[in-house]
Amino acid sequence: MDTKLLNKGLRYILLAFTIIFFNCSMDEEYVHIAYSPVYFNLETMPYSNLSEYNFFQGEIKNLDPVYGVLPYDLINPLFSDYSDKKRFVWMPQEQKAYYIDDSEVFNFPVGAILIKNFSYNGVAPSNETKNIETRLMIKKNEGWIFANYVWNEEQTEAVFDLDGSTVQIEWTENSITNNVNYRIPSGSECITCHKVYDTSIPNGVKPKNINKIFNYGNSTINQIQKWIEYGYLDNAPENIQTMIDWTDPSNSLELRVRSYLDINCAHCHSDNTHCEYRPIRLDFDSTEDLTNLGVCLTPDTDLGNGADLIVSPGNFVRSVLHFRMATVEEEYRMPLLGRTLVHQESVDLVEEWISSLEIDCN
Amino acid sequence: MKNSILIVSCFLISFSLFAQDSAGDSCNNPIAIDAGLHVVENIDGEHFSSNCTEYDAANGNLEWYVYMPDSDYLTTITTDLEANEDLDTRVHIYEGTCDDLACVAGDDDSGEGYLSVVSFYSYAGQIYYIAWDDRWGTESFEFELIEEDPPPPPPFEFNVASVSTVGSERGLVDMNGDKLDDLVSIENTSINIHYQLESGGFNPVSIETTYADNAPSWSLAAGDFDRNGYNDLLYGGGNGVTFMQANADGTSYTEISGSEYVFSQRSNFVDINNDGHLDAFVCHDIQPTVYYINDGSGVLQFFQGPNEDGVSSGIGGVEYDLAPYPGVQEGGNYGSVWIDYDNDRDIDMFIAKCRGGDIQWKYNELWRNNGDGTFSNVADVTGYYQSFYPDAGHSNDSNLGDPVQTWSSAWGDYDNDGFMDVYVGASASGDGGHKLMKNNGDGTFSDITAGSGVEVAPWGIENNSADIDNDGYIDILTNGSILLNNGDFTFTLYTAGTPGPGGIGDANNDGFLDVFNGTNLYLQSGSNNNNWIKIVTHGLTSNINGIGARVEINSPGIGTQIRDVISGSGFRYMSSLNTHFGIGADASVSSITVYWPSGTVDIINNPDINTTIHVAEGETLSLEDSFIEDLLVYPNPTKNILQISSSLEIDQSIISVFDMGGRRVLNYKVSGNNNSIDVSSLNTGEYILRIITKAQQIGAAKFVKQ
Repeated sequence: MDTKLLNKGLRYILLAFTIIFFNCSMDEEYVHIAYSPVYFNLETMPYSNLSEYNFFQGEIKNLDPVYGVLPYDLINPLFSDYSDKKRFVWMPQEQKAYYIDDSEVFNFPVGAILIKNFSYNGVAPSNETKNIETRLMIKKNEGWIFANYVWNEEQTEAVFDLDGSTVQIEWTENSITNNVNYRIPSGSECITCHKVYDTSIPNGVKPKNINKIFNYGNSTINQIQKWIEYGYLDNAPENIQTMIDWTDPSNSLELRVRSYLDINCAHCHSDNTHCEYRPIRLDFDSTEDLTNLGVCLTPDTDLGNGADLIVSPGNFVRSVLHFRMATVEEEYRMPLLGRTLVHQESVDLVEEWISSLEIDCN
Repeated sequence: MKNSILIVSCFLISFSLFAQDSAGDSCNNPIAIDAGLHVVENIDGEHFSSNCTEYDAANGNLEWYVYMPDSDYLTTITTDLEANEDLDTRVHIYEGTCDDLACVAGDDDSGEGYLSVVSFYSYAGQIYYIAWDDRWGTESFEFELIEEDPPPPPPFEFNVASVSTVGSERGLVDMNGDKLDDLVSIENTSINIHYQLESGGFNPVSIETTYADNAPSWSLAAGDFDRNGYNDLLYGGGNGVTFMQANADGTSYTEISGSEYVFSQRSNFVDINNDGHLDAFVCHDIQPTVYYINDGSGVLQFFQGPNEDGVSSGIGGVEYDLAPYPGVQEGGNYGSVWIDYDNDRDIDMFIAKCRGGDIQWKYNELWRNNGDGTFSNVADVTGYYQSFYPDAGHSNDSNLGDPVQTWSSAWGDYDNDGFMDVYVGASASGDGGHKLMKNNGDGTFSDITAGSGVEVAPWGIENNSADIDNDGYIDILTNGSILLNNGDFTFTLYTAGTPGPGGIGDANNDGFLDVFNGTNLYLQSGSNNNNWIKIVTHGLTSNINGIGARVEINSPGIGTQIRDVISGSGFRYMSSLNTHFGIGADASVSSITVYWPSGTVDIINNPDINTTIHVAEGETLSLEDSFIEDLLVYPNPTKNILQISSSLEIDQSIISVFDMGGRRVLNYKVSGNNNSIDVSSLNTGEYILRIITKAQQIGAAKFVKQ
């Protein structure tokens, strides 16, 4: 026998064993080899009931996600009448999203599903947690579509409903009882905020807004890093501009206000969106120039109440921005859709910020 | 003895000191001033709630001054002085007695920054109270009172009175059937009406309702859709539409709330399908417009888009299945108004539209009534409607297709040539400015904005037309200013002493129009010597309000003036259903002509002026009086085409076809000498064809459709 050949063969066998050995030992980190039990049929989506997707295991009301349904959080969420939100993302087998820009929603693959559940704790009469609605955005071939699932009283199922409705909710938080006539949106309301021109798009899930630590249970790591490891994101730059948390008092008032307005207002008040014809631009990049935020700017519509500038430096009582954030009248309030209560903490912040401005408009 | 003198003198001293400190603390104890500079140390006097300023924000403490000019002046009160830099002042000026004060003028921010400047006509020997308000600022400041020779005053004068309203102030319209305009404010649980009294003043009444699912946050419309003699209400809310149906004597209301999602904007009552029953129309911000067809028993059925049981062509939006994915489509519908733009005696509709982005939904639409139950958008400049329905008569023939961002338009015959023109007021400048469009009388409009004076009008959402100074040339109320018609298709902008946006009507029945804006009633009390006439339309075959009727008057100097009876104009408010004309110096009106939606025509000759004329449909029997000759129509019976043979001049005549129940089923205006009519869409049966020529000659003929 040719010894050289035998040696070569042995070497290959040895190499093969080594590879296999190393593969086996890396199995714990190669989680995406496992198969997600979510029922995925792009043609028949959206389904009639939330349970049909099989997003959750155990009692559906607990929202315990199956493998593949990855929870995530935003640094700055949209205000929705003080409801609690749980967010999840799911993508089909071996599909992943791609990074475009710090401030742009990822390029998600066809079949991706974004899940957002709305609930309240301490809900009367039983003082329990109550799920209200679960909103989905599903990326089909022709673009993102909306689906909404309204939970039943028993919390055993949520049923597809894009007609919109209103639910009376009484809940107790920090010993204070609150009431809300909670609005579950219709499909038209969904797209009004979730669009650029007439193309539907997600809003919150941008690199700069998910660049934070999340506790996944068995690990607590940065979400972008997790998405990459999980196989849900192709790649991302080392340094990503990160939104500052608007509730963090260690940041300047101005940065906090700009961050708040970005997530709560920019979807209608930026280029190519619903109210582009108004002069203000409330996305974070634009508000670096305070004129875009309305400072010293005369509004198009005279409300007849003495507020004659959108932001009147030092004078929050005369600022349209403050007035509209502080009112519940539906013909004046901002955001126009998505809230019925006043987000008092943000109104206080805007009041503080406007009061601190020493700009001379002349 | 010594002690009591001491005590008394102490008392006297302290009393005089007390008197000194309190000067200016009430209307009864004001500080007397005349022309010159004055210092306001602090404002700590009696509160009075009447707000005379341009802003609807409650008064604070006041500091009281009194002024009595020795001659007639144009008096100016101003804090716009160097010494007051960066301060914030507010002032109210009253006349009358302390227990019966009325606003004369006021100001908040007309000066530099937040300083105040206001001028008013003051008359010798009159007493004026000037009250400084600490609503916005409490620091001490100076003001100056300047007296000048008065220039000629504007041709209108509004006195502002505070009204104690409950709820959202929305309407100036008759609610108790006496045809006097009442003030209407709405809460979810009550309808609050200040009923106008024939003897003057108001009787405020609050009528409880069930909790309305939808409030009229976005708009209010009124009309009597169940024909019981009392106007019903439509609340245009952000999530849906609620109707409030009046009972048999207008003392209570029943809530009818639809379950459909409607993001309401402007709403109207109008007979869309011309069956004599009043329907309703509501603009939808983010979907196609919606409409409610009245089945004749007072039940309003919801429709959206083209529908065989509603309006087969639709009036705003395409069918759900045809629209761009994801099916949640269209919208941008903000300001609908129903007018007859082509004078063919059926009611058309213009929608002012607004939306951000490079997008279809911001293009205004003009829905021409084809007289056969269908409508076509003749402002389809992008070709959107034509692409879906190529044979439905859509085009941009009108030339009103325009992306300008607008929430309402003011329709009126500004040059009194017999055709409705339109002022399209922009709400934002991004897609063009305000437009003044002249009706050429042939279905087209021309842009005559340049040099018209409207270019300097304010941006905003409220535009409406009314003859404010009664000179016979209809003016434009826009966002708190008035574009006064100069009579030559140019306008002069007035921004002082003008009413804020609100319901327009006659709140004191003096023939001069007033405005109900917020908690303020802007009242004219015979501003000048111009004459006027008001007409109330009582429909019989047509809807009971006569909504959709064309009212035309002729007076010797001015000539022809026209109005359409409209429920729901401007953006948010409900204005009077009474038809008002100013006739200037003309001492008579030779005729009033009412073209009813039913096709009936009534002519009243030589009516009284400076009063209200009530016209009941059909009362004048003018058709029979003016009937000239029979027509010959052939072939008869016919299956599709009918030819007219007549010596009458056919061009520009109105052709109407009535069924044996008296209902008008076809209607249009003839252009050229086209004397053949397509009647194939009619059901089999007997019909009457009527022709009214341009010269108002009438002919009629019976025919049978097979």
